[in-house]
Amino acid sequence: MPNMDMLRDQFMQNAVLATLFAGISCALIGVLVVTMRLSFIGVCMSHSAFAGALLGLVIGWNPLATAMLFSLAAAGALGPIADRGEFDPDTAMGVVFSSSLGLSFLLLALVPGPKTEALSLLWGSILTVTRTNLLLMAGVALGILVLLKLFYKEIEAVMFSRELALACGVPATAVFYGLLVASGLAITTSLSAIGGLLVFSLVINPAAAAYQIARNLKNMFLLAVTFGILSGWVGLALSCILNLPTGALIIVVSSIIFITATVFSPKKKKLQASIVEAGKTENG
Amino acid sequence: MNAVDLQNIYLAYRGKPALNNVSLCVPSGSLLGIFGHNGAGKTTLLKVINGLLRPARGSVCVLGRRLNNESFTEIRKQTAYVPQNIKVDPRMPITAFDVVMMGRFGKIGLLKQPNTRDINAATTAMELLEVLHLADRLYGEISGGEQQRISIARAIAQEPSLLLLDEPTNSIDWEFRSRLGKIIEKIHSERALTTIIVSHEADFLADVCDSIAVMDKGRILGTWAREEFVREYSQSRMS
Repeated sequence: MPNMDMLRDQFMQNAVLATLFAGISCALIGVLVVTMRLSFIGVCMSHSAFAGALLGLVIGWNPLATAMLFSLAAAGALGPIADRGEFDPDTAMGVVFSSSLGLSFLLLALVPGPKTEALSLLWGSILTVTRTNLLLMAGVALGILVLLKLFYKEIEAVMFSRELALACGVPATAVFYGLLVASGLAITTSLSAIGGLLVFSLVINPAAAAYQIARNLKNMFLLAVTFGILSGWVGLALSCILNLPTGALIIVVSSIIFITATVFSPKKKKLQASIVEAGKTENG
Repeated sequence: MNAVDLQNIYLAYRGKPALNNVSLCVPSGSLLGIFGHNGAGKTTLLKVINGLLRPARGSVCVLGRRLNNESFTEIRKQTAYVPQNIKVDPRMPITAFDVVMMGRFGKIGLLKQPNTRDINAATTAMELLEVLHLADRLYGEISGGEQQRISIARAIAQEPSLLLLDEPTNSIDWEFRSRLGKIIEKIHSERALTTIIVSHEADFLADVCDSIAVMDKGRILGTWAREEFVREYSQSRMS
């Protein structure tokens, strides 16, 4: 049974801080992804980052740097695809997603020697987070918070409707691309701690839970961050108690929060009531 | 001076012309209606004026400036656009007041926060459209007609020089429809706006606008004064 003495260990302190920073940055990005219905873009970027990290391992470069390059390249490619409308965005993203996944498996086979490090990128390894990685995660979380504070009203307008934001004189395209890049950075820096397969759940679940409850955008950001950090810390504690993989438990906790929020959502009740009322009006 | 001056505009969607050699001059201060059936190119024309769509050929001058990469943002701050409808999830945590306030964002500028003047402009616009009581409701929760009134309030809160309304009577009930016409006329004259209303409802345009241009298959067939339009339209309905 773990006790509070464990928190004196450096690796545990790093893990607590990593879940804090990943919880903040992923949840903030999650609010944007959920409200703008860009979930598939997030999946594409997390898998591109994973492929990039594997390429780093194959060619002997820093996996974090190559993951970041791939993630930003995906953001750079997906934005125009979603914009131009030459393809159905879902089809284009499906192509990027399947290509990233295919490339990942190919690169996994090419990683020399034991595959431990490569697989740890897949599942995450929060107890082995390095100081450098921690600093990067803190920097990205802080950077996203600062951007949010500075451009809150522009982000709010873009989240509501890009076309309307543009029509109001808001530089909506620049804001949208900035959000994609921020998503790429948040996902990439959380990759080694949470894992390429699981990071996306930490992006979506806390924000989706907050979406069920919040009645204004500021509250949604606050709730999402609270749920993100709570998922991280409870998942970490459970992992120590049950001796099970931390990343997986973080996702289980965040999923439980989402399910609870959905079941008890006051908006859902209100929505059902208004549908019933509309039905009565039509029939009567 | 012309508030809008379009010359030989050509725009196609996937090879199919939506605007075919369209020229249109809208003098400052006029209240112009654009009438046409679905697919006539009315919405595309409004989007070209607002810079949301770029034509393949032709020139677009708005408020005395040629529309290009440099002038887009500035022109949009002076141009308020009400789209046909905005699809929003009912749970989207953005209130009706937040939406009206968005009309001010371009004018407020980057890195600045809304001040009392901005809040007053938004509140006045909501009062004009009789939707102030909806201020704290989620935009996605209110009815289609109320959403449309909120959208128009947002455009008015922007305090534009050019007001572009795309099917403003969409989802508006009959009772409020005629009041909406009066509100548009009032704002148009009190604030010395140039207003362009796109609609497939000939009666509404004839009630509100000074002149009406008729579009069909991506072309402007002609522009008529209100009385002429009413006469032509009634004749075409009879025949």
